[in-house]
Amino acid sequence: MPELPELNPVIHGKLRLALLSLLMGVEEAEFTWLREKTGSTDGNLGAQLMKLEEAGYVAVEKRFVLRKPQTLYRMTDAGRAALSEYVDALKQLLGSAVAGD
Amino acid sequence: MSTNNLDLTERLELIQNMMAAGRRSTTRWAWTIVLWGVAFYVAIAWSSGFFGGPIWGQHYMAWPVTMVGTWLLTWALASRMHKSAHAPKTTVGRAIMSIWTAMGISMFALLLPLGLSGRADQQVCVAVVATLLGTANAASGILVKWKAQIACAVVWWLASAASLFGTVTESTIAFLAAIFLCQIVFGIYAMICESRERRRQVQGAVNA
Repeated sequence: MPELPELNPVIHGKLRLALLSLLMGVEEAEFTWLREKTGSTDGNLGAQLMKLEEAGYVAVEKRFVLRKPQTLYRMTDAGRAALSEYVDALKQLLGSAVAGD
Repeated sequence: MSTNNLDLTERLELIQNMMAAGRRSTTRWAWTIVLWGVAFYVAIAWSSGFFGGPIWGQHYMAWPVTMVGTWLLTWALASRMHKSAHAPKTTVGRAIMSIWTAMGISMFALLLPLGLSGRADQQVCVAVVATLLGTANAASGILVKWKAQIACAVVWWLASAASLFGTVTESTIAFLAAIFLCQIVFGIYAMICESRERRRQVQGAVNA
């Protein structure tokens, strides 16, 4: 029997998974847009984004637009690869679960 | 299915929903389709002498004033929407924007000199506008794989052909019908899709 893959714990948190999936579909996104789409609080969102940043999955850029601070997040190549691997692992796990039922 | 499997399935759905939320780029602009449809109707009615009064009596001003006014209104509303929605940048979004911007500039660059030089023929103008709108709708529709928009492109191209082969009255009817189907009906349909999508996303918002 083939060995079942392990799910990446950094991505496995639901909010972190949602954030990476959102960033996968865009070039870059503002903190406020991510908050609106996930329905998360500022504190929780900031903490989860920091974890993703520490893992090297997202890159942050802070800048001023019309004198207002703007925080932009974009997915890194490592993040893209990690999410793809995570999706493959999920599918493999689901496939084995269906076969085992 | 066990609870564990349900959780895994939910995760896959979450990934799909969130990726779709990021890519959503056409329906957000559905209101502009309706706005331009209304603008075309206003310009046609004004140029045909449908409205009375000193300003509305200046028929030669109908198209330039309506088109420039609508462009300014679109720009103002879009800027406001962009500021409030903090919309992200997407490659598809930029591609669609470039198609419509190029189409708008091409239309302006062709129709304004045609009008000013006095070489404008109503049927040719309708055919040019309809062909350009068909091109932009087809390119956008193919890009986002939206059959309804590709159907609109076909309607515009048919209207263009009808305009050249028919009489002036038939050309006008074809143009009015295409505006109704491709701007008003399709625009409202896209707005309904957008509203449904927004509601679905609010329900699916994550709180981890």
